[in-house]
Amino acid sequence: MSVQTPPPALGAVVRALLRRTIDAYQDSPQASGWLRHNLARFDEPLRVAIAGKVKAGKSTLLNALVGEEIAPTDAGECTRIVTWYQDAQVPKVMMFPRSSPPKQLTISRSGGALSFDLQGMPVEDVDKLEVQWPSQSLRTTTLIDTPGIASLSKDTSSRAGAFLAPDDSPSQADAVIYLMRHLHATDVHFLESFYDQGVARATPINTIAVLSRADEIGVGRLDALSSARRIARRYRADDKIRSLCQTVVAVAGLLAQTGRTMRQHEFTALSALAQLPRADIDGMLLSVDRFSRTELDVPDSETRAKLMDRFGLFGVRLGTTLIRQGMNDPSQISNELVKRSGLDELRSVLATQFTERRDLLKARSALLAIDLVLTREPRPDTAPLAAEVERIFAGAHEFAELRLLSTLRSGTVKLPVEALREAETLLGGDGGSAAARLGLEPTAGYEELRAAALDAVTRWQRRAESPMSSRAVSDVARLVVRSCEGMLAGLGVRSQ
Amino acid sequence: MAVPAAVDLVDLALKATTAYERPDLGARLLQTRKRLADPDVRVLIVGEFKQGKSQLVNALVNAPVCPVDDDVATAVPTVVKHAETTSVTLIRDKGDDSKPERIDVPVGKLAEYVSEAGNPGNKALITYAEVGIPRKLLSGGLVLVDTPGVGGLGSAHGAATMSALPSADAVLLVSDAAQEYTRPELEFLEAAMKLCPNVACVITKTDLYPHWRRIVELDKGHLEKAGFDAEIFPVSSVLRLHAAKTEDSELMDESGFRELVNFLLRRVVARSDDLDRRSTSHDVLSIADQLAAGMRAELAVQENPERMQDMVEELTRAKARADDLKERSSRWQITLNDGVQDLQSDIDYDLRDRLRSIQREAEQLIDDADPAEIWEQFSEWFHQQVSSAASANFVWAAERARWLATQVAELFAEGAEVALPDLKFDDEGMAKKVDPLEQPESEKFSIGGKLFSGMRGGYGGMLMIGMATTVAGLGMLNPLSIGAGVLFGGKQIRDEKKRLLQKRQNDSKMAVRRHIDEVTFQVGKDSRDMLRRTQRQLRDHFSALAEEVSTSLASSVLQAQNAVKTTTTDREKRIRDLKAEIGRIEGLATRAKALVEGQQAAAVGSGKSL
Repeated sequence: MSVQTPPPALGAVVRALLRRTIDAYQDSPQASGWLRHNLARFDEPLRVAIAGKVKAGKSTLLNALVGEEIAPTDAGECTRIVTWYQDAQVPKVMMFPRSSPPKQLTISRSGGALSFDLQGMPVEDVDKLEVQWPSQSLRTTTLIDTPGIASLSKDTSSRAGAFLAPDDSPSQADAVIYLMRHLHATDVHFLESFYDQGVARATPINTIAVLSRADEIGVGRLDALSSARRIARRYRADDKIRSLCQTVVAVAGLLAQTGRTMRQHEFTALSALAQLPRADIDGMLLSVDRFSRTELDVPDSETRAKLMDRFGLFGVRLGTTLIRQGMNDPSQISNELVKRSGLDELRSVLATQFTERRDLLKARSALLAIDLVLTREPRPDTAPLAAEVERIFAGAHEFAELRLLSTLRSGTVKLPVEALREAETLLGGDGGSAAARLGLEPTAGYEELRAAALDAVTRWQRRAESPMSSRAVSDVARLVVRSCEGMLAGLGVRSQ
Repeated sequence: MAVPAAVDLVDLALKATTAYERPDLGARLLQTRKRLADPDVRVLIVGEFKQGKSQLVNALVNAPVCPVDDDVATAVPTVVKHAETTSVTLIRDKGDDSKPERIDVPVGKLAEYVSEAGNPGNKALITYAEVGIPRKLLSGGLVLVDTPGVGGLGSAHGAATMSALPSADAVLLVSDAAQEYTRPELEFLEAAMKLCPNVACVITKTDLYPHWRRIVELDKGHLEKAGFDAEIFPVSSVLRLHAAKTEDSELMDESGFRELVNFLLRRVVARSDDLDRRSTSHDVLSIADQLAAGMRAELAVQENPERMQDMVEELTRAKARADDLKERSSRWQITLNDGVQDLQSDIDYDLRDRLRSIQREAEQLIDDADPAEIWEQFSEWFHQQVSSAASANFVWAAERARWLATQVAELFAEGAEVALPDLKFDDEGMAKKVDPLEQPESEKFSIGGKLFSGMRGGYGGMLMIGMATTVAGLGMLNPLSIGAGVLFGGKQIRDEKKRLLQKRQNDSKMAVRRHIDEVTFQVGKDSRDMLRRTQRQLRDHFSALAEEVSTSLASSVLQAQNAVKTTTTDREKRIRDLKAEIGRIEGLATRAKALVEGQQAAAVGSGKSL
């Protein structure tokens, strides 16, 4: 098979189609408005929604990702309105009520945390809040905080459901981070609603699951996080979960948030605690009550209570242990906390799964939007457009890859386990770059990549043509070969 | 806990029934004895995954009996009860009538059988594990049952837990202090409150969460709002275990376990003891009354021979009424028979209705998509829907059956009251109302107990069967249709694809229909069996009571008639004898009354000995 010239980028094709559809619907303000909105959305940062059960730690994780305490958190159920966090020049909070024009809210900030006053507007009547905040972390992705699922207040729950998996229109988010504390029946049910049945939708491609509050899984023991990673690994290997999301990562949100926002006085307090005799501090750390109640002058009881709020039992244990082991620089400690929290791992997964696939995810959202208009308001002259949507969904190799990935993950094709994993990696299951697909270090050079890709082509070609392979396996192998050839073509272009 | 005083009293009363040749009354006492001989007070520990249920049990008995793990740990229910030496037994119930298999295993090996790691998904098919451990807390008959995490009402574990609820004396709903109650937890609580009289909420891991007091407050609010009257106990298992190790009493106070243990002993064990005492006392009292009835009648005639005719007439009328109670045409019998029939059709209708709407929804889902693609999620969803429908049907049936039992008991009491004459005598004031009936209030308890132990086997089996057929009936479709889905990846012509899709859809619908048929059949049969057992138990119970009353009255008539034949010289002696005999039986009655009256003092005493 000869190496073809790479087809025009998917993004450009979809954009062109979007413009053509807008032209066709000039006379319908509603449809063209919706389409224009989607065209604009194409150039906006990727929208990542953070979803999960009540108290899964969604807002805490959002703060950790942003590196600032901008989402309010509380012991009780807290987030009741869908809230968007976007990068901007100046901080500003807008409220979008359902039946009246948007309104600017005043921001109050106490002890680092933001809070907004709804000015007496009942939460049921607010469609969403939009927080504009200057932040490096929000530049490439807009984060969306959602109310908890399985919330006791049915309304809150259904608000989240309507936002994340609306019945009648494509989801407003391009990708979803789903937080779960430990797998519950309701969790699986919820993930399933992302896995809807349309042609290109049938893919868990835009979902990452996070095993949140990882420090609490091991009831705050020092080795809690390795336990949590072990559980996350088990989930990753679970076929049912694999068919619902890309991967599972364990993150201790509170630790990550505090690590990224640690202040000098907190470090001082931790250092003072680390100076205490070992038996004393162990006794204090038996329970959260003991920790803040024990009689001790420095740090005083109030400081300790605040420390517990910010770090949790695990964080205080870890922090004092690290200081005792000789770490005496606040930034060193805060880096270590972040590293141990699993946040770095999550960020790199986000980069490979979402940021690198940005165009694909955006194209997918846009195609779904066009599809909606075409089915809602079908017209005789839009048939070619519908055919084009169909052609892109069916023809674009990127979508074929996504479809095949989810087929492989559903376990319906019988392949040896190693071959299955290799096929998934080659199809981009662990990241879209050539190095990630070939399972090489990101620093791998041209020759190395080329050799590995050629090797993969040969192997899968053989599998495709082998008379022993079933038809299903041959189909899979042919698609994998095409992915490898695409990679080779990409390499060729770069080297010239 | 078997109350020794109650057992002694029953033994004494048994002797009396033999002495006065009333074996029919003896049979009832033998049953009472049997009930007393089973001292177990079962406390079910339930909750979602990872809330610290096993650790709670460990902390209660202060020993690592249940395996604890950071990942999901418990796969098999573990029953922890008192024993002289520590022992572990695995029980495998094959579900048929054969005796369950019991396997003794070394103490250290328990984790290999009950933990998710050692026995994933309970592949070893163990029904439950029994751990015997010498502990003062358990010596009163307290039995702790650690259950696998529920994971929602519709899950397999949820259904199994649900079917165990009616036979439990108390339920502890365990939830950790990380968050307030969620909807599935409150739904479970609602079902538990309906099936079990004694439900308490335990909030664990208070050592780990700084805001546990807020969570307790929030949960209290949720309970109040839902109208549930359940106590909340915040505890920390870690602190309790640590306190036991270091013998730190202050830490023990902090762990919150004192209150929980108090609740278990004073409210759960004591309540069960209280129930034992009350029902024993009632049984013995009624038997004493019946034993004395004949003698009282004779005594009355001996003292006033001229009133013999009146007396005999009155007694005969009473006997006729008691006989009426035995008849099938009596009101309680009619209510029972009609009630069971109504109930049967109502329950059946309810089940069919629930299943039908599931079927409709399932067919809609199949129509909207390619079954090959959605099958895995679909069958999971379908399975959950069906088992939660069966659970809901079960809760409802249990409630209705209990209501019917109360209704019948009231009618019986009403009928008996009319039928029983007030035997009033002018002299000596020794006359007493002959009231050989148990009060309906206490009747509810004993009948309820019987009812539910009968129901337990049936419904447990039914829910399991419901699950087994899901796997058998629906699994078949899977490889075939999915193979086809992949085969026709895109090369085949459209029509063929369409035809195959339709075939898959039709096959799936057939599978759904077959499964629903199967479930309706099995669950329907089980609920009919359960109702028939209930009906038979109620009928036997009340018929025996009516029979006893009738026998007592017949002997009263006879003794009253014979009394006239006594010569005047013998009369004085006979009266003395009769008074002595009656005095002895009254002694029995006094002891029976003391058994109930003494309980308050006893409860306070046992509370102090902790």
